[in-house]
Amino acid sequence: MKGFRTWHGLLLMGLFGLFFLFYQGLWGDPTALPTVIIAEPAPEIIAPSLYGEKQMVLSEHRGKVVVLNFWASWCQECKLEHKFLLAIQKRFEDNPNFVMYGVNYQDKDNLAKAYLDQHGNNFEHIVDLKGKISIDYGVYGVPETFVIDQEGVIRHKIIGPVLGDTFSDLVQNKIEPLLNQSAPLS
Amino acid sequence: MNLRSLLILLFVMTSSFLGVSSLFAQTEPLPPALSMDEDLLQQKTKEISRTLRCAVCQSESIWESNATLAIQMRDIIRERLIAGENADEIRAYFVSRYGDYIVFKPRFRGINMLLWGGPFILLLIGGIFLSRALRRWTTQKVEDAPEPLAPIDEKQRERIEAELRSFK
Amino acid sequence: MMIEIGHFAVVTALVLSFVGIVTPLIGLKTRDATWVVVGRRAMISMFVLITIGMAAMFYGYLTEDYSVKYIYATSNSKLPIFYKIAGLWGGHEGSLLLWAWILALYSMLATLIHWKSQPVVMPYLILIESIVLCGFLLLILFLSNPFERIFPVPADGKDLNPLLQDPAMVVHPPLLYLGYVGLSVPFSFAMAALFSGRLGEEWVKATQRWTVFAWLCLSCGILMGGYWAYYELGWGGYWGWDPVENAAFMPWLVATAFLHSTMVQEKRKMFKVWNLFLIILAFSLSLIGTFLVRSGILSSVHSFAADPGRGVFILGFVIFMLMLSFGTLMIRSAKLKSTVRMESMVSRESAFLFNNLFFLVALATVFVGTLYPLLMEVMELQKVSVGAPYYNAVFMPVALGLVFLMGVGPYIPWRKSKPENMKKLLTVPLLVALTSTILFFILGVRKPYALAGLAVVFFVLTAIVIDFNKVSTFFAKREKVNKAQGFVSAFKGNPRRITGIIIHLGVLVMVVGIIFSSMYQAEKILIMKPGEEVNIKSFRFRMANLYGVKGVNWGGQEALFDVYQDGKIITQMRPQKRFYTVSQTPTTETAIYQLRMGHLFVTIPEVAPDGTWARVRILHNPLVLWVWYGGGIMAIGAFMNIFRRDRRRSVPVADSKGVIPEVSPNVAQPTR
Repeated sequence: MKGFRTWHGLLLMGLFGLFFLFYQGLWGDPTALPTVIIAEPAPEIIAPSLYGEKQMVLSEHRGKVVVLNFWASWCQECKLEHKFLLAIQKRFEDNPNFVMYGVNYQDKDNLAKAYLDQHGNNFEHIVDLKGKISIDYGVYGVPETFVIDQEGVIRHKIIGPVLGDTFSDLVQNKIEPLLNQSAPLS
Repeated sequence: MNLRSLLILLFVMTSSFLGVSSLFAQTEPLPPALSMDEDLLQQKTKEISRTLRCAVCQSESIWESNATLAIQMRDIIRERLIAGENADEIRAYFVSRYGDYIVFKPRFRGINMLLWGGPFILLLIGGIFLSRALRRWTTQKVEDAPEPLAPIDEKQRERIEAELRSFK
Repeated sequence: MMIEIGHFAVVTALVLSFVGIVTPLIGLKTRDATWVVVGRRAMISMFVLITIGMAAMFYGYLTEDYSVKYIYATSNSKLPIFYKIAGLWGGHEGSLLLWAWILALYSMLATLIHWKSQPVVMPYLILIESIVLCGFLLLILFLSNPFERIFPVPADGKDLNPLLQDPAMVVHPPLLYLGYVGLSVPFSFAMAALFSGRLGEEWVKATQRWTVFAWLCLSCGILMGGYWAYYELGWGGYWGWDPVENAAFMPWLVATAFLHSTMVQEKRKMFKVWNLFLIILAFSLSLIGTFLVRSGILSSVHSFAADPGRGVFILGFVIFMLMLSFGTLMIRSAKLKSTVRMESMVSRESAFLFNNLFFLVALATVFVGTLYPLLMEVMELQKVSVGAPYYNAVFMPVALGLVFLMGVGPYIPWRKSKPENMKKLLTVPLLVALTSTILFFILGVRKPYALAGLAVVFFVLTAIVIDFNKVSTFFAKREKVNKAQGFVSAFKGNPRRITGIIIHLGVLVMVVGIIFSSMYQAEKILIMKPGEEVNIKSFRFRMANLYGVKGVNWGGQEALFDVYQDGKIITQMRPQKRFYTVSQTPTTETAIYQLRMGHLFVTIPEVAPDGTWARVRILHNPLVLWVWYGGGIMAIGAFMNIFRRDRRRSVPVADSKGVIPEVSPNVAQPTR
């Protein structure tokens, strides 16, 4: 082409690159947050129980599958998932290798207790003092649910409420397989 | 340049010094002593938290944000500072929990070098290109004569300067 | 009913925008000016119709018509009347309508003002402006319609976001849009020059004031936004390098580069293609900015609700405009013979080139920094954040380089400068810069960046003072008056140059403000109970009380601070934590005490539920007001530039008495 110069080519490349970037970017979600702590050893937790009976020490549960659920009384989505959490506890409570804890996040004890009174409760809860636990686990908001295996390694993280498909996936494909491989450990 | 303009300059300068000198009543923070004092602790917390993104906010740092998570993160920075960790260690801790997303300052490595070096490389390339083009243009013989009516040329400029000198 | 009339008016405007596209084309094809006259009428009618649309929305706001979805979302019956009107630009749909209105206003004014003087440009101007307007009207009517109704009709509105209930926020968006959209006038002239092949200096001269006006509005809009963020968001800073702030800053950078390089084209007939490229880039960046802000593609404090449909449409429109303009530039420029007549490496021309280089590198920094996280995400590499620490490290050196050039560029002669001239030019400023650095070091400024910044500021200031002294001396001598009057004569002789340098002075003031308020800011965040005290620099803050307060549409707490310096009470400050009841949003109200052009700044971002303690953020921001004083000086300079009176060439260059040092008589610009 006559009169075609290098800068024309560069400019066109730049423009098309930009258009491509913008178009691709439209389908992404800028608010989606990365998860980095999967497959890492679970940070140690030493925290008071919500009802003040005893301290919870995570390492004491080594050899068990631990489910941690971060929640708060002011969180709307937590209310939606609450009955599913109760169902998880109900389903596995007879298994000695399973334990579930609720982690009460950025909340007040009295409000949290009132919430549990209202919505029912069948598992233990600990208090996340000054956000130490949630920051250690890279929590962005509530609800978030972690599954820790018998070796104390974080295996799964679920952002958002556990209900419907997420619930059955969590129970059947995440917790149960872990519990089933726990037999040889004893 | 005559005496008077120098005086004016001096006046401008001294008055601005007077204006700002009062701001330096306190000197820079001292190097860390055995136990960190409160001011230094605040200062360091500020420096570190300004480089960390408040994960639940949009694009604020945890220093600027008033979200609970940001407040808690600031407290953790403070505690870790008291425990003796340095800025990089503290940042590394947050990166290990939240990923690279949490730092406002992408690390100097891999593809990020492009981000950090890019503008300076561009400046360098542009500068080289520009000076070469300039040299080419200046040595190039221009066929048609330059504009007859330039606003001011060297000769006139010299005369002006001469006039100015005579004025002094 | 009024709303429907407004809606109908805007639909008609859309139809007319097609008329505005088609008629100039027919006119150009048939060489019949009647078609262009039709286009002009369409342009004027579009403005009237969109004004009716705006009026209908205002009527809806004032009569509290919450059956209109957008009014419902951005207003409330308890809102003061001032903010009811400003509600129109409190959200996505209404602000787009304002955008379109401003575009129609500019198009109409440009058509009317240049109708006689630039007849050749008119068909292209009408064509280009109609295309842009058409794109925005399509977006408004089909993808973000502010006239849409809802049923059932809500009893009351959801309220305007309390953060926007602020005087600065009332004027910030219109100013910003006046800036963004104002660039469309020089852009259209540039496109007209490209299409018609009249690539001389005419389009540059005709649009110079338009560009300065757009630049002025953009600058003020950005500064106003900064001031708003400063006291409303309550973190004590005015610039956060947020993607949306960057989106407004990028066109500003290019517009500034353009304003400088067009001077070369006017004086020396050089850089023709370059100037076309710059103005196309500037307007493209304001379109890209619109895309970035409104598609929700970036994570930002300001972004509007994301909607991929809108994003795709705006992107399509941006692609169309960019390909049209850059494509035409490429095709046309290939035919342009290069007419560079550079005589020396050391000349004002080359100083302008370096100015442009620095501006474009500054742009690249902001551009890359803004889009880098997006790029990483699209390439599925990692999720990263780019924020203030990056810009401080990379942008600031470039900015410092630009400030330095302000002390050199305007004082190098055109065409050619001899080395000894350069020496003369630079010696005194460099000496002053060096002396000031040493003095500041002795005074206790130890941060390298602050020292470098101050040295550069003094370098430029000296250069300006020397130059002003020189010209006023010359005129004083020539007209046998005193120096002050000599300066006035110099100003009259070349107002454009002097106003430009006034803007430079404003930049210096701002730079000093930025250096001190960012590097010598003292800040503390702590929890305080009534009766407790804290020291910050030489000030002592005592929280005297913490109590409840109530406003019209909000309730909250207020803290009372006694501020002491040297044991004496200097003021009382009352920051608030508010909770707006209708929108259920908390805000922090800042208490500011002005002190030697700096600020003491107190907020209480958090108050204990039982009211026993508050989290307190206390700052001392030295010289922070200089940032806005500098902005004010820049605005004054730009204003004087727009309304200057250029002398026709009253002093023939050949006349020995008529030579003006450094102030080359402006080639007379036909007054409109």
